[in-house]
Amino acid sequence: MKTPISGFYRNPVKFRMPTAENLVPIRLDIEIEGQRYKDAFTWNPSDPDSEVVVFAKRTVKDLKLPPAFVTQIAQSIQSQLSEFRSYEGQDMYAGEKIVPIKLDLRVNHTLVKDQFLWDLNNFESDPEEFARIFCKDTGIEDPEVGPAIAFAIREQLYEIAIQSVVSARESRMSKKGRRGAEYTPVSKGGAAAVDLVKLFGPKSSVVRKRKEWDVYEPIVDLLSNEEVDALEAKEERNFR
Amino acid sequence: MATTATEPLPSSAEMPPAPPPPKQPPQPVAAASAVKPEAPLSDSKASAEANVIVVPSYSRWFSWDSIDECEVRHLPEFFESASKSPRVYKYYRNSIVKYFRYNPTRKITFTDVRKTLVGDVGSIRRVFDFLETWGLINYHPSSSLTKPLKWDDKETKSDSASNTTESSSAPAKENTKRLCSGCKVVCTIACFACDKYDLTLCARCYVRGNYRVGVNSSDFRRVEISEETKTDWNEKETTNLLEAITHYSDDWKRVSQHVPGRTEKECVAHFLKLPFVDQFQHYQQHPAVNGTDDSCNPLKRVTNADAESELDTVASAEPNKRMRLTPLADASNPIMAQAAFLSALAGSEVAQAAAQAALTTLSEVYKATKINYRSFPRNTLLQDAGIMSNGGNTSDSFQGSRLHANIQLEKEELDVEKAISEIIEVQMKNIQDKLVQFEDLDLLMEKEGQQLEQMKNMFFLDQLTLLFHKSSAPKTGECQEGNNVKTNHGY
Repeated sequence: MKTPISGFYRNPVKFRMPTAENLVPIRLDIEIEGQRYKDAFTWNPSDPDSEVVVFAKRTVKDLKLPPAFVTQIAQSIQSQLSEFRSYEGQDMYAGEKIVPIKLDLRVNHTLVKDQFLWDLNNFESDPEEFARIFCKDTGIEDPEVGPAIAFAIREQLYEIAIQSVVSARESRMSKKGRRGAEYTPVSKGGAAAVDLVKLFGPKSSVVRKRKEWDVYEPIVDLLSNEEVDALEAKEERNFR
Repeated sequence: MATTATEPLPSSAEMPPAPPPPKQPPQPVAAASAVKPEAPLSDSKASAEANVIVVPSYSRWFSWDSIDECEVRHLPEFFESASKSPRVYKYYRNSIVKYFRYNPTRKITFTDVRKTLVGDVGSIRRVFDFLETWGLINYHPSSSLTKPLKWDDKETKSDSASNTTESSSAPAKENTKRLCSGCKVVCTIACFACDKYDLTLCARCYVRGNYRVGVNSSDFRRVEISEETKTDWNEKETTNLLEAITHYSDDWKRVSQHVPGRTEKECVAHFLKLPFVDQFQHYQQHPAVNGTDDSCNPLKRVTNADAESELDTVASAEPNKRMRLTPLADASNPIMAQAAFLSALAGSEVAQAAAQAALTTLSEVYKATKINYRSFPRNTLLQDAGIMSNGGNTSDSFQGSRLHANIQLEKEELDVEKAISEIIEVQMKNIQDKLVQFEDLDLLMEKEGQQLEQMKNMFFLDQLTLLFHKSSAPKTGECQEGNNVKTNHGY
């Protein structure tokens, strides 16, 4: 007998990050007079706007950047927060879907590559806790890797949440009531979301096939100084 | 102010992994957190010495495992909201403290810390600021004396600390300048203080709402900043002032021109506050300039308690060198302040004798005029006492003026009473008029009420007739329908 599809994901919910803490991923990449500042962190949208300027000033002071960076940092954060707030209050689909999250990042000398499935419908999920456990299990000692992993997860979930809003808007426009059941959000990596029913149906097994083991196995690599320099040079070339 | 405590680091279960040493070499700091003895140490002893962490006595509440009440009070977001939990706070706090203690000689920044912590940067910043304020991170005993305390709790915490620590360090003097918690700029004219969260904001930050989460604008109260805090003299200005006095002696107009941005009054006031040294002794012929001789030497304000105690011993050895302060020295009345200043110059014995004479004269005048002196302010009496001490020949004029004043006072009292009675009459009239108006309104309301009642009754009648018509209509309809049916069947 076929498992009945839950009616929940037909009904849209109000937009928010599909995690326990409603935090906005902020990415900065600013260049002024030959000095480049790149950063990524999460921001609490319920904090007052005055905090943005305080944070910008503090960062410029700590990193000894030129004062011109203050306004640029503040503006960049503010614009990203405004974008996030523009989605608030809108409908989004949060169906029984699990999405593949892909990690491909380098923090200092540590290279992390991984792929795993994330339940979009679990609004109590904690990317920070996942990142902590990941670092502990894989024996990563660099304390900067954990926050980078948590940020990468949040960024992809945010992207998916935005697409969910867009999809819900389109379905409203086209007046197709059953669009929600067919909706498959796309993650940043471009892979389609996996349907729980299809994945864990009566005939399928929860045990992953042997040929897929390599795909879902985390790769943690420690790079040498030369490799790091080469990667940084490559990134710089791509940026130019 | 600082207690040296060798604190055990927490177990790996409750703490994140220790951060690696910073990429750049640590910057040299004036004083290391652990004071190393001069004698050479053995390896084991040296390693034990390296583990010594200096913690301020007011932060002795800190424990790796528990959360103190002051943490809950100053960072309510972790203990009141659903998303953030005390566990998250403990993780932040312990990680930051551990990161600092990995190498206590270097100063860590918020930007260094946030890279190693997962969570929103706003919360991390607030935790970092809290720990820095309490001296749990970036604390160096050498600079702690000059650093003002930020929260009232610290004073209470330091009181409860052990006597040994209290005696070893000088209590920090309260900082007269008010720094804005938001932009860290010295507040001018007025600032806004929040006692609930121990915040001080300048007007700009208050208007912009530049304060932390959970604080409302209603929590703040406006605090006027006295002129003293605004007019602090720096060394350069003081040097200019002394140069000008050397050149122009008591020509205060030219002196003030020599000190840019200062008025004559400010120059005089500051000069009087200065400790007088030998080079200004030749100004004795200008009492308006120096206002005192070498026997009266106002003390410098000393920030260090040890230095203060030294000065006290010097002062006790040479009592004439120290200025005698009187209870009226800070009186709001300038004449009284001057009198206090002069009495300080004269000495306590002379002042006592003068006061005694003044009191005797006053009592005589009191007997003569039988005026109740209690109705006069204390300052006036004291001023009069000063006048009386100049000589007895003024007693007659004084008596006359007193009587005249008394008559005037009675007259004024009568006028006031008259005015009050007139005001009361007018108000009573107003009230009566209003009462009449209300009565009229009441009558109108009653009439309207009656009209409404009549209309209600009429509506009720209309409804009844309508219902009657409705009930009769279906019967006729039924008859017609019956006829139709019959005809249909007939076909």
